[in-house]
Amino acid sequence: MKAISSDFAPPLKLISPFFSYGVAFYLLSMLALLFFKPSFAYAQMDVAGWIHLFLLGFVMMIIFGAMAQLIPVVLEAGHAVVDVYYVIFPLLLIGTSLMVFGFWLMPGILPYGGLLVLIAMIIFAVENIATLKKTSIRTLTIDTVAWSNGYLLLGILTGFAIALGLSGNLGINVSLMLKAHVYAVLGGYVVLTIIGLSLILIPMFSLAHGFEETAINRAFKLVITGVGIVFAGALFAQEWLMFIGYAVNMAGIFFYIWQIYIIAKLTVRKEMDIWAKSMIFAFGTLIFSIMLGLLYFIIGKESVLHASVWFLLLGFISSMITGHLYKIVPFLVWFERFAPLVGKEKVPMLHEMYSKEGASMMYWFTTTGVVLGGLGLLFENDILFKGGASFLFTGAIFLFITMRKMLSYGK
Amino acid sequence: MCSITKEAVFDAISTVIDPEVGFNLVEMGLIYDAIIDEACNVHVVMTLSTQGCPLHQMITTWVKEAVERIEDVGDVEVEVVWEPAWNISMADENVKKALGGM
Repeated sequence: MKAISSDFAPPLKLISPFFSYGVAFYLLSMLALLFFKPSFAYAQMDVAGWIHLFLLGFVMMIIFGAMAQLIPVVLEAGHAVVDVYYVIFPLLLIGTSLMVFGFWLMPGILPYGGLLVLIAMIIFAVENIATLKKTSIRTLTIDTVAWSNGYLLLGILTGFAIALGLSGNLGINVSLMLKAHVYAVLGGYVVLTIIGLSLILIPMFSLAHGFEETAINRAFKLVITGVGIVFAGALFAQEWLMFIGYAVNMAGIFFYIWQIYIIAKLTVRKEMDIWAKSMIFAFGTLIFSIMLGLLYFIIGKESVLHASVWFLLLGFISSMITGHLYKIVPFLVWFERFAPLVGKEKVPMLHEMYSKEGASMMYWFTTTGVVLGGLGLLFENDILFKGGASFLFTGAIFLFITMRKMLSYGK
Repeated sequence: MCSITKEAVFDAISTVIDPEVGFNLVEMGLIYDAIIDEACNVHVVMTLSTQGCPLHQMITTWVKEAVERIEDVGDVEVEVVWEPAWNISMADENVKKALGGM
C-alpha cells in the first residue's frame, strides 16, 4: 500500500492567510492597473512595483500556500518543519508591501523589503529541500520541484543584488541582472512549478487516466535546461546564449501544451465548471502569448512583447491559479470543517461551497478584461487598456468576495 | 458460518460519498472486492481515482467505519491497490452519464 498523503495535511489556519492575502494582493494589483498607461518601459520603477505586487503578492503568495498543502501530496511525505509557514507568511507579506512601497515611493527601503522576501524564500526553499530529502520516491515531478527551488534561490539572490544596486549600495549592471532575475523567478520557479503542479492537478480534477508522459518529461527537461542557459547568458552578457535558451524553452512549452492536449483527450469529466473554463482560457492565452512572443522576435516591436507578457501573466498564470482556487480552497475548508462529520450528519459537496454566479461573474469580467487590456497594450490604445483594467478590477472584486465566502463556509 | 454477504458489505460502503464528484464509491467502481471469512472478518479491496488523492486515508477510514456498522461484523481491513488502475469504464452507467465520459 502506498504512503498516505492526508496524514501530513497542514491545518487550514496555516494555509488560509496565504490564499486570503494573495487574493487581496490580486485585487490591489488590478486596482493599480487603472493608473497605468499602455506604453511603458520595463525599467520604470512604477512598472517594477506593479510586477512585484502581482508576482510576489498574488502569484508567490498563492503558490506558497498551495505548496504547503501539495508538497506532501506530491512527495507522499510530511513537511520537514511545517510550522515555518507561520514565519514565511508575515515575512512575505511585509517584505512585499515594503518592496512595492519602495518601488513606487521610496527606493531607499527596497533592500529592507527585499531582505525580508529573501529570508522568506530561503526558508521556503530550504524547508522544501529538507522535505524532499525525506522521501525515497524519485519522479521527474519531484526532480522538478528541486530544480524550481534552486532557480528560486538564484532568482532571489539576483533580485536582492538588484535592490542593492538600485539603492546605490552595490555597483552592478542592473539591466543584465534584471534579465537573469526575471528569467530565474518567472521561468525557473513560477512556470516550472505551474507545469509540475498542473501535471498532478489537471488529471486529478478531470479524472484523466492512463496517458503517455513522454511529452511532459521532455517539457520538464527542456524548460530546466532553457532557463539555465538564459540565466547564464544574461549573467555573462551573451545575447546569443540567451536566444538558444529562449528556443529551448519554447520547445519545452510546446511539449507541455502537447501533454495537456493528450490529457484533455482522455478527460472523463466534461462538465464546464469554473475550473474547466479557466483551464481552457489559461491554455488559450498561453498559446496566444507564445504566438505574440514569436512575432516579437520577428518584428521587434516592444508593444507586441508587452502584450505577450500580459497574456502570459494575466491570462495563463492568473487563470491557472484562480481556476484552481475554486477546487483547492473548498477542499481545504471541507477537509477541516466537514470531513470529521462524514457518516454522522449531512455534509456539503465541494461544488456547493462556492457561489456559481459569483465565480461565473469573476470569470467573464476577468477574461473580457484580459482580452481588452491585451489589445490595449498591443495597439497602445489607452481606452482599450483602461477598459480592460476596469473589467479586471471588477472580476477581482468577485474573486475576492467568493474567496471570503469559501473560507468562511461552515464557520 | 458468517451470514454477512458481499452485497451487504457493498451496500454499507455505498453510503460513502466522494465529496469531489458527489457519487458513492461503489457506483464509482472503486470497490474491487470484499472478502468475508467464516469469523465475519471483512477484507475490502479498493482503489482511488488518483494516486495523489489527498483524501486517501480519510476515504479508507470512512469505508472501514461504514463496514464496521454492519451487525456482527468482525475485524475490518481496507486494502488500497493500484492494479488494475481505475478508469471510467468501471463506473456505473449513471456516473458515466453524469460525468459525460461516455
